[in-house]
Parts: sequence; C-alpha cells; structure tokens
Amino acid sequence: MIESIILWILAICLSPFYAAVILKVKAFFGGKKGPPLLIHYFTLIKLMQKGSVYSNSTTFIFKMGPIASLSAALMALLFLPIAGRSPVLSFNGDVIFVLYVLGLGRFFTIAAAMDTASPFEGMGAAREAFFPIICEATMFMILILFFQLTGELTFAAYFTGIQTSGLWRVAGAPMLFVVMAFFIILLTENSRVPVDDPATHLELTMIHEVMVLDHSGPDFGLIELGAFIKLLFYSTFVARLICPIHAAHPFVNFVIFCAALSGVYVAIGVTESVMARFRMDRVSHFVLTSFALAFFATVITLEFVK
Amino acid sequence: MIHPVDILLILVLLSVLFAFASSRLPVLIRILAFQGVVVSIVPFFLEHEMTAGGIIFTTATLTIRGIIIPWSFYSMIKKMGIKREVETIVSYNASVFASLLLIVAAPMLSHKFNMISFSGGTLITSTAITLVVAGMFLLMARRNAIAMVLGYIMMENGIYLIGTALSSGAQHIVEFGILLDVLAGVMIMAIMLQSIKQKYDNLDTAQLSKLKE
Amino acid sequence: MEAFFFSIGVIIAGGTLPLMLHRHFTLMKTVGVLSISAGCLIGLTNSLFQLFRPETDAVSFKYLHAFSLSFVIDGLSAFFLVPVFFVSFLAALYSFHYLNTPEKSFRTAASYLFFSLLIASMTLVVTAANIITFMLFWEIMSLSSFFLVVYDYHKIETRKAGYLYFVFSHAGAMLILSAFGLMYGFSGSFGFDGAAILPEWVKIVVFVLAFAGFGSKAGVFPFHVWLPHAHPAAPSHISAVMSGVMIKIGIYGILRMYVALNYHAPLFGEILVIAGMISGILGVVYALAQQDIKRMLAYSSIENMGIILIGLGIGMIGMSSGNPLMAVLGFAGSLLHVLNHSIFKSLLFMGAGIVIKKTGTHSIDALGGLMKKMRITGMTFLIGSLAISGLPPLNGFVGEFFIYLGGFKGVGLDKLSFVLSLMAIISLAVIGGLALACFTKVVGVVFQGEPRSESAVKADEKEPMMLIPMVVLAALCPIIGVFPKAVFLMAIRGVSALNLGYGRIPFSPFLEMTENISQAAAVFLLIVFCMLALRFFLYRQKTITRTGTWGCGFTRPTVKMQYTGSSYARSITDFFKPVTALNEDHPAVQGVFPAKTYYSSHARDIAERYMESVFVHPVLFFFDKLRWIQQGDIHPYIGYILLAIVILLFFV
Repeated sequence: MIESIILWILAICLSPFYAAVILKVKAFFGGKKGPPLLIHYFTLIKLMQKGSVYSNSTTFIFKMGPIASLSAALMALLFLPIAGRSPVLSFNGDVIFVLYVLGLGRFFTIAAAMDTASPFEGMGAAREAFFPIICEATMFMILILFFQLTGELTFAAYFTGIQTSGLWRVAGAPMLFVVMAFFIILLTENSRVPVDDPATHLELTMIHEVMVLDHSGPDFGLIELGAFIKLLFYSTFVARLICPIHAAHPFVNFVIFCAALSGVYVAIGVTESVMARFRMDRVSHFVLTSFALAFFATVITLEFVK
Repeated sequence: MIHPVDILLILVLLSVLFAFASSRLPVLIRILAFQGVVVSIVPFFLEHEMTAGGIIFTTATLTIRGIIIPWSFYSMIKKMGIKREVETIVSYNASVFASLLLIVAAPMLSHKFNMISFSGGTLITSTAITLVVAGMFLLMARRNAIAMVLGYIMMENGIYLIGTALSSGAQHIVEFGILLDVLAGVMIMAIMLQSIKQKYDNLDTAQLSKLKE
Repeated sequence: MEAFFFSIGVIIAGGTLPLMLHRHFTLMKTVGVLSISAGCLIGLTNSLFQLFRPETDAVSFKYLHAFSLSFVIDGLSAFFLVPVFFVSFLAALYSFHYLNTPEKSFRTAASYLFFSLLIASMTLVVTAANIITFMLFWEIMSLSSFFLVVYDYHKIETRKAGYLYFVFSHAGAMLILSAFGLMYGFSGSFGFDGAAILPEWVKIVVFVLAFAGFGSKAGVFPFHVWLPHAHPAAPSHISAVMSGVMIKIGIYGILRMYVALNYHAPLFGEILVIAGMISGILGVVYALAQQDIKRMLAYSSIENMGIILIGLGIGMIGMSSGNPLMAVLGFAGSLLHVLNHSIFKSLLFMGAGIVIKKTGTHSIDALGGLMKKMRITGMTFLIGSLAISGLPPLNGFVGEFFIYLGGFKGVGLDKLSFVLSLMAIISLAVIGGLALACFTKVVGVVFQGEPRSESAVKADEKEPMMLIPMVVLAALCPIIGVFPKAVFLMAIRGVSALNLGYGRIPFSPFLEMTENISQAAAVFLLIVFCMLALRFFLYRQKTITRTGTWGCGFTRPTVKMQYTGSSYARSITDFFKPVTALNEDHPAVQGVFPAKTYYSSHARDIAERYMESVFVHPVLFFFDKLRWIQQGDIHPYIGYILLAIVILLFFV
C-alpha cells in the first residue's frame, strides 16, 4: 500500500519530465538543441506564481474545468499499476469507473471552453467531444479482449507483475494490434500529432490547446499538470505491453519500467517529427483504425483461444 | 503455440483493413505487394520437404507477385502522373466497417466449408476468403480504374491461397499457369488504362458510362 | 393495500376539487397541488414499506359477475410505484408556479383532473393482476395523458402532436390486446399466471406482440415517433411525468409479460439487446441533432430506454444461458436505470420548462448565458446533465455500471452470447460518449457563453415552487451516486419478484460492488476537495483581472460569432450521415451587395421518413378507396345500421 502510494506520487512528479522528452526528440529531429528536460517544471512553477485573468463571460464552471480534469487524471492514476506493482485502489470493474471518471474530466473541460463564448473554443470543444467517442469504443473493445484472456475487469489484472507477459503468451500476435490501437488512443486522447498539433500557430486547427486559451496562471498550470498525468497514464499501458518484463527486485523493476516509458515517449516524439497533422475530417478515419485494430485482435484471438 | 503461418496471415488480414482505409494509390500498391510476398512464401512453411521445382516455382511466384506486378503498377501511375486520391462509392468509414464484418464472417464461412482439415495454420482458408471478398469489394466500391484492377489482384491472391491450402505437391504448375495469365492481364490492362487516360484525361470509371448508347 | 387505495383516493380528490373551485385560481391550485402531493406522499411511503415486506398484498373486486378487478402488489409493482409516486409528487409541486395564467383557470382545473387520473391509472396499471384490469387502466393512462398533451390545443402543432400520440398509443394498445387475446384464447383465464401453460410458439408470438405494443409506449425505435412530438407540446411538468415515469410503464409491461410467460428463450434476449442498441445509439444521435430543447430531451429518453432494454436483454441472456450472476446484474442494472432515469430526466424537463417559460423560446441556438441569471436552474441542470451522461459519482453511472458488469459476464459464454454481449458493451460505450457530447452541447449553448438573442437576456428565476422540486431531484443524483446501496437493495427486491427460480438472491456479492462504487466515489470527491484547497491556496493574494474573452486577435467579437449547438453537433451527425440526413435550406448569395439571407437545417428521423412512405401512404390510399361509404346523408347510415344488425343476427 505504502509502496503503491509512493509510486503514485513518483509518477505524478515524473510526468512533466517525460513530457519534455517529446520536446527533446522533436528538437533533435529539427536539428536544434531544444529546451532543457526540466522545462515543464519551470513552466509549472512560473504559472503557479502568477495571477489570473478571467473573461467576463465565464462562470464558476470555468474555474471547475482545471480542477475536474486534474482530479480525474489523478483518480485514474490511482487505479493504474505503476511499474507492475499493485495499484493503490482496485476493484472488480474499476476499468469502467476510470474510463467514466476521465469522461467527467472531459465534460468539465468542454464546459469550461463553452463558458468563454469564444467561437474558437467552441470549435475545439466540438472536436474534443467527437473523437473520444471512438476511443472509448476502442477501449471497451480491448477490455473485452482482456476479459476473455484473464477473466478479470481490473487494471491490476492486466498490468501487474507477470500478468502482462501472460497476455502475450495466450494471445500472441494480436497483442501487437492492441499495442497499436493503444498508441492511437494515446495520440488521440492526449491531442498529439497527427490528431492535433499542440505547437501550431493557428487556433482554428487545434483541439485541446484552443480549449484552454482563456485559462491563465495557476488554473492553466493545473490543466497542464493534468494533461501530463493523463499522457503518462496512457503511456504506461503501452510501456507495460511492449516491455512486460518483471524483475524480482522492485528497484530494478522500476528502472526497467522507466526505460520502457522513455521508449514510448520517444516514439511519440518520433511520430510527431515525421508526421504531419491530419486534415480534420481524416482524424475520425484515423481513430476508427484503432477500433478496427482492436476489433480485429479480439476476433482473431477468439479463433485461437478456442 | 501459434503457427508461424498464422502470424503472417494475421498481417495479411490487417493489410486488408488498411487497403480499405487507405485513400492513396501508392499505399494500395504497397499493400498488394506485401500480400503477394506473404501469399507466395506460405508454401515454404506448409510443406516439410520442398522439391527443387517447387522452390523454383515458388521463387518465381514471389518475384512476379511481390515485385513485377506492383512495380509495373508503380511505374504506370508514375508515368500517368496520378497523385489524386482514390474516389469512393462506399465511404472510407463504411469500408472499414465492412472489412470488420468481413473479417468476422470469413472464419464462419470457412467453418461451413469445412476446409480447415488441411495441415498448417487455422487461418489460411478464412484469410483466403477474406481476400477474395475484399477484392470484389474494392472492385465494387472504388471508382478509380487502377484501384479496381488492384482489387482484382487481391482476389487473385486469395484464390492462390486457397489453392495452396487445398492441394499439395503438383499444384505449382497449375498455379504458375494462372499467374502468367494474371501477368498478361495486368499488362493488357496497363495498356488499356493508358488509352482510357489519354482519351478521358482521368481514370474515373464513371466516365465510361458515357459510352452507353 | 388499504393505504394504497387511500392514497389514490386522495389523488383523485386532488383532481376533482379544483373543478369546483375553478373560479378562485390560486385557491384551486393550492387545493389541487396539496391534495395530489399528499396522496403521492402517502403512496410513496406505503410502496417503500411494501417493497421491503416479504409477503405480497392482493385484493379483488367482482364486477357484474362477468370479470373481476384484481390488484396485487409484489416486489416488481412496488419498485415501479416508487418513481411513479415520487416524480408525480414533485411534478405536482412544480405545477403550482408553472401553470400561472389565471385566464385559463378552467383549463388548468381540467388539467389537474387529468393529471390525477394519469397518476392513479399508472399506479393501478402497475398493480393490476389480470388482463382486464391491466387493459382498463392502460387505456385510462393513455387517454388522460393525451388530454394533458393537448393542453395548449389552440396551437396547431400541439394538436398534431396529440393526434400522433393518440394514434400511436392506440396502435400499441391494439398489439397488446392481441397478445392478451392470444393468452386468453390458449389459457382460458384472465389472470397473468395462466400464461405459464401456453405452448412455446404461442409464448414467443405473445412476447413479440407485447414487446411491440409496450415498446410503442416506451419509445423503442422505430415505435418512438410520437415521443419527440408529444413531449415538446405538453406542459413541462407533464413531460417530466411522461418521460420520467409513464414511458417506464412500457418497460414494466415487458417485464410483467416476461414473468407471466416464465419462458427463457434466447430469442427474447436477442430481441431486447438489438432493439436496445438501435434505440440507444439512434436516440442519442438524433438528440444531438435537435435544436428544440424539449425534443432533444425526448430523444434522450429514447436513448435511455435503449440502455434499459440492453440491461433487460443481458438479464434475459443470462437466464437463457443459465448464468445467474449475469441475469441478476442485467435486471438489477436496468431497474436501477429506470429509477435513476426517472430522477434526472424529470429534473431536466423541469429545468427546460423554466427556461422555456422565462425566455419564451424552445430553440437551443437562441439561448445562452443563462447560468448567470438562473443560477439554481443552471446548477441543477448541470447536475442532471452529468448524471444522464452516466458519469461518476452521480446516479446515472450506477445502473450502467451493473449493466456493464452483466455484459462482461456474457463475454465468456457461448458464441451467440459473446456476440450479443460485445454489441451491448460497445453500444453502451458509444452511447455514453454521445450522451456526453449531447449534454455538453445543451449545457454549453443554453447556460454558458453569452445570450444569443434578446429573449435570453431578460431571464430570471423567482418561483420557489418550481425550484424546490429541482433542487430535491438534483440532490438525489449525487446521493444515489455515492451511496447506491439502498436503491440497489430496492432493485434486488424488484428482481426477486421476477421469479427467476434462484430462490432468495444473496446480497453480499452485490453489496460489495456497491461499496466499491461508494469507496471510489468518496476517494474521488476527496481528491476534488484537495484540489479545491490547493487552488484556494495558489490564489491567495493574487491579482485577479476580469476582461473580455481572448478573440485570437479579433478585436470586435459579437455574440453571433459563438459556436452554436448545430455547428457543435455537426461533425458527429456527419459521421452518422446515413441515418441523420439534414434538410438544409438556404438561398444562394447573389450580387455584390447581397440581400439579407438565412440558413436553416433540420435533421430528419429515419423512422419517421420510412413510416410515412411504407405505412402511412398505403393506409391512406386504402382508406381513400373506402370514401364512398361516407355519403353525408342520414338514410344510407340507417341502412348501414340495419345491415349490421341483420348480419349480427345471422352470424352470432
């Protein structure tokens, strides 16, 4: 329990660092030196020290947005086995709970964007409402597959200890598609290239960044922190799946996990460097691919497991 | 333990999915090339001892399916300067859903035909059926003539796969004969497509309906 | 049982007294509201008491020796009585300030009469123990609700909606009656228990007929067409009762038939899951495409009926494949959703009612920024929206959670169950996501941002009797969401009355699940409070500036530039294009200085479209051919009567 809580706090603290890895990789591809790896910590501290500017159009919901999205991310992380150790909380069906809690965070993020009466933020909100629908379907498709393989409905049963390598042993090649599907979900849910470009200069083409245009100061800091944690949450799935090794010593285990996690972030960085953002109407097409992959993996596994 | 052929075939099934989702011709051609390679190396895994003739024929198949046909398509679109996306009759999202349904339905069909008794992987017949139906679907749902020909090639890949699964030993000669026919067909089509292109300045088959009456 | 009839007596008195007092408007309303709500409260306490009593109550009245009116309150009836009495109680309170036009005094009095009849007939349908009783009160329920829908009868669209509702409820009643007729023909008894001895194929036919009939009341796709017309036309407290509880009586009918037939064919589960899936997904897609706030809520009811049907279907699959846990989870989950939906849907209709009353417009795109002027309405509507999107820690999540768990139990069973469970789970996930999009749209466009038209500027909220019911309902949402144990026990009582043949259902495995939800919700609330504290700490002694919204470089934004509900929903409805064809109307812009132009769009319901071409036109054509019977002269009519008598004499 204590160990799990320590890991939880560690994961929260490490999430800004990992997010900076993406920047570094992108800088490398661009032939630049890039910002320091601790850049996000500096940004967070700077934001926390500032005051805020609020739009006259906004109500209390605007201030609830950052809190809800950060709380949802923190809550989700509580159920996640970090480095293959058992999570802080776990119960039968916790996966459903976590997905819906993240939905709550999304609800308030969208509501906060709509609160500003800005046409740009409304546009971003509409997109934020659309793409995760398909992501959710994919997630549940993967859950059906995992339930078939393990008979359990908890993150702990999929990502703890030797369980993950067990998944690979039973399902084999289809797990590769699950990894790909997870990666697509990761890119979509966290608004990365090719779904969304957080670094673009034009607000019209953004999804997540445009929704938080009017947030400033500590509020914006909380949103940023929530986004980092959410990214870590999804990256952990992929990291555990591509590196299901479970060492006996907890410390060695943690190091291996961190290395795998860096691998995932580097992969995100490489994706961002080599790909361009999709046209908006193509995004749904791209996200649908993840559903197709997950569906495919499930059907194929059904053929083998029998 | 999964049979190695099955892993390859899973990738083929996946490529069907991508073929349905992709809107660019070069991608479609690459997918076809990949399918051709996989389909022609399957016999290596299925038969325990290969005769020298078998090896030669299989290698020749590999060259034609995996390299010559895709390459000729590639050079064709390069020569014609086609960069536009494939126009569809059935939209891409609907195509993806159709391919999912297909992938679910194919194993059921193959169970019905009871063709899985043959040695080797469990997926061969269902993959073959998927390829045949997917090829037909591409023929039906795409307007671009090249995409349609590619659909035809995909169908042919599936038929070859069924042949591999059902017969053993002497099948190479028959298969090779078919392959040469296909090759000839592709060449003829290349010429025809070129003249269509010259005549109508694009390859939209909807233009052909002008020929009616 | 006496207490039950006493409560109905009080409710009916609350309907008749206003008729005599209609000259004194306020007095009439006070008497009506007090009496109806008192009756509902008595009924509510009694039904809660009945729910937790082990034995069932039955009573029977003979009528002319021909048939008897008999009533029974078992666990299932008692479970459905709870939302009926509760929502009616709050709707009655709400009506006090909602019906505030003294000029329409007599009409208001009549509406109280029909309102009390509706409540009484709903409770009596739920407790009916034989076919005749059931059908009698079913008809009274349909008719009284029809009169309530046409309250604003001077408006043409209201009359149209009422007519549509009338046709649908009677076509449905016809199907139910034919199912009952078959039952009576084969078993020879009016009681529901006689149905257990029917041959199997008759059971299937009876169930399918009854499903279609009850489905038309419950708003199951494609029998839902009346719903999006009738709900916007009716006064809001009536919409709340109709959508909150009356359409659930259809669900009750399906369950009652399932109990009576006592036949666990896999087909029943298949029908329900597929029907639920279609109603669920299409319901919410159409809800998203609506521009009228009450129409949108009506479509959202169709969606929630879909969720309930999916749960029932999962329960039935669990029964037919012999998996008790799956069966209980499915049934209990959908019963919970029945209760929860009655809470948040009536809340949302009441909220929409205030908005429409204060702004005078139904159109979502004409509103905006109401949160600042209508704080309580906005807050409660927000809570209702969160709950209906199925988000924890609110009550909507609880029912869906159990349905999910039941669905996952089916994944491990045979191939057919696997396919159905997969469809159920994926459609629940998609419905959840779409519902979130739909209700962020409503909250975002109606209550947030800036007012989009004059009518939205001058809104206020002062009437306590309208706000109190909403606050009560809104408070229940998080309470049930965090402590679902009590309502879950109620649902289990309802499930044990289904005669599943498992004997007493053990509580402990399910209680553990509810406790897990409570615990997780508590942890989540704790985190939220910590974050609030952190935020408070971060904002100590900071400068807060207020200014206009950042316009991305544009310096003169107007409220017209805001994203509208239609544009918000457009990308999603485009994704579902085959079923949500948009009718667009805008003249082309011409000339260098174009004249003022307009754009309007309207999503067409696919069921409505096909029903028109496949059903309505042929029927009209057929009856057009029979026009010659109507001569307009009295003599042929007397001839017809004579002819009928002669035929009857010869053949009967």
